[in-house]
Amino acid sequence: MAILERIGFYFQTVIQIASDPIHIAILFGSVILGIIFGAMPGLTSTLGVALLTALTYGMDTATAMLCLLAIYVGGTYGGSYASILINIPGTAASAATALDGYPLACKGEGGRAIGLTTTASAIGTIISMLFLVSISPLISFFALQFTSFEFFLLAFFGILISGTLTSPDLVIKGWISGFLGLFLACVGRDMLQFYPRFTFGIPELDSGIEVVPVLIGAFGIPQIIQVLKDQFQIGETQKFQRILPEFGTIVRNIPKIVRSALIGVGIGAVPGIGEDIAAWVSYGAAKNASKHPERFGTGEYTAVLSTEVANNACVGGAMIPLLNLGIPGSPPAAMLLGALMLHGVTPGPMITFEHPNFIIEVAAILLLASMAMWVVGMLLAKQVVKVLRIPTQIFMPVIGVLCIIGSYALGMNIYNLYLMLPVGIISYFLIEMGFPIAPLVIGVILGPMADENLRRALMVSQGSFMPVFTRPVALVLFLIIVWTVLSQFPLFKDYKNKIIGKIFPRRAANTGLLPKKSTEQSEEN
Amino acid sequence: MEKDKLRKTDIYSGAVISLFGLWIILQALKMPMKDSWGGVQNVWYVSPAIFPLFVGCMIMLLGALLCRTALKMVGFKTFGQTARWLLSKMFLQFLNSIPNLRFYTIVVLFLSFVFLTIPRVDFFLSASLFLIVFITSFYFDDAILLKKLFFFYLAGILVLILYFSLGINDPLSRIVPFPADILTTCFKISYTVYAGLLIRGNPILRKKYRTAMIVAFVSPFVVGMIFKYFLLVPMPSEGLVVAVTDYFWYLEF
Repeated sequence: MAILERIGFYFQTVIQIASDPIHIAILFGSVILGIIFGAMPGLTSTLGVALLTALTYGMDTATAMLCLLAIYVGGTYGGSYASILINIPGTAASAATALDGYPLACKGEGGRAIGLTTTASAIGTIISMLFLVSISPLISFFALQFTSFEFFLLAFFGILISGTLTSPDLVIKGWISGFLGLFLACVGRDMLQFYPRFTFGIPELDSGIEVVPVLIGAFGIPQIIQVLKDQFQIGETQKFQRILPEFGTIVRNIPKIVRSALIGVGIGAVPGIGEDIAAWVSYGAAKNASKHPERFGTGEYTAVLSTEVANNACVGGAMIPLLNLGIPGSPPAAMLLGALMLHGVTPGPMITFEHPNFIIEVAAILLLASMAMWVVGMLLAKQVVKVLRIPTQIFMPVIGVLCIIGSYALGMNIYNLYLMLPVGIISYFLIEMGFPIAPLVIGVILGPMADENLRRALMVSQGSFMPVFTRPVALVLFLIIVWTVLSQFPLFKDYKNKIIGKIFPRRAANTGLLPKKSTEQSEEN
Repeated sequence: MEKDKLRKTDIYSGAVISLFGLWIILQALKMPMKDSWGGVQNVWYVSPAIFPLFVGCMIMLLGALLCRTALKMVGFKTFGQTARWLLSKMFLQFLNSIPNLRFYTIVVLFLSFVFLTIPRVDFFLSASLFLIVFITSFYFDDAILLKKLFFFYLAGILVLILYFSLGINDPLSRIVPFPADILTTCFKISYTVYAGLLIRGNPILRKKYRTAMIVAFVSPFVVGMIFKYFLLVPMPSEGLVVAVTDYFWYLEF
């Protein structure tokens, strides 16, 4: 009965939004804006969500979510335009699409490729929405059993895994970035005793560091500096004819779509890693499973399909830990978390009690956003592509003004600007030195959760760490954290390979884990 | 950055990060651990210091690890190389390179916009000044012009810094309304004229100049109007232009 009620409410929400002209206007406007942000090299969906958060300040929560989710969905999809037409990924998420999308455009099949990515992206979002609705109650149920120890370990795991997977250079740099974010979260009066930490007597720092200006600074300012410093130029766009929906190709590739969607949802659900990794993993999986892997990179439709389904499926996947655990699954989801907090919604296991229909509302918005994205993609792609002609030297300074006014508008505090700019400049240097920024942002967001839960847990256990080993979930999380850390050390890898070699000598020899001599010896024995 | 260069910078960044971690620990040790705070007797595990201590230790440890890893890869000889590079002409050339000039321009523009003009000058005027300088400096795509425009802007900013730091604004505002806005407008006009004179012989740049001016004047107006009158967000500083727009917006026919 409850399920039927939920399904009923879901369709009721869809109809309610779809029948309101203002909501429809906001939906299409945000999707178009998202596509423009995604398509413009140098702008990202994260920045789009960040800048639009300021504009949603006066809206009710449902309308704000409609606006922000639509820009997120549109931004993730929009990146494919620049990838296919100018071979420059509009966003990191569409970098894998460029490998096969651009060769297709060079062959004169750009319209077909865009039609395919549009349909694939819509399908990816819808599949991830289904996962969000079906898995959320289960995760919420388990999360309700969590105590402070589990929440502390979960936050810690989120930062570690985000650091491990997003680091472009050494993994240590990702972890350092995460801990720097945790330090920023320490600034301000602590929530248990109200003691001022790292405030240096500045009253504006007493309430802690505002998340949204930090996010805008960390994602926006480095982007502006990088693009203008390196004189990033947008190349000539490839021409494309009529956009075809490509339903035939879609139907023929249903198993591949499902596989890519599962990869997208799975990776999206892992805290802190986003659409870019989902697209690459999906591309790799599609290539490995293909009968003609040699065609990949020369303009293969399956490749374009797999990357676009996966990066858009990541959107719904990222919503799963965000809404049920309060842990963002991707950088734009981190931005959404900030926006939700602004609107008085605190995501976490209690969301099903405090806002029982919220997850269904989010799912309904995702469905409508994916449909709006498909319509815009099919009808307005040619017009949207025109924005690629705007020189970066013109739009980047305007984005700079938007970053500044956006940071200020949230709280109408000029101190936010004094914070946003240094964070942006420091982030630029960190990026230049190979430090990823996503873990820093995740650290700022998860810091208060980690801090409060660690101390609360120790308060309950009277200073004992034993519950980590006696509580099954805490123990599992602890072991995963230990494994994540140890697996990055060469010594551990050597030991692991030796053990695998002893247990499975043939497999080890085939995969090159052991030198041939030792496997031959073990076989003789 | 290339891997070898990255490793060299890792040595220094690792050391700085490690020292930063140590500073966090030292600051955290000043927080109440077992003493009473706000009439409450503390125990170590509820102390506000526990989490910063943990974070500080981790940052110090990871910074040291990064430094060690980098040193293992490039060796101690890198210190000598860096010292020689810092003392050589190459370092000066690096500082004067065009990409770095672009970087200085962007940073100076942002710093002056956020810390100098936004809190003191009408938002529309400060934003349009920022955009005029930003767009013309980069859109002309000419290193010599960038240098000239940057130094002109720097000179104007120095005048504004002197004007505000010497406290001229307050006594002057009793005689003339919005003196800071008028000064900024004069600066903006002189910059526009200077940039126009620099490119007057080049038709392509003249076209770019026109585009830059349109974007620089229209976009702050559109953005500012949306925030001020539709989202009801008061501007960080409201002066001459806001007074005029307020007059028309609230005009009762």
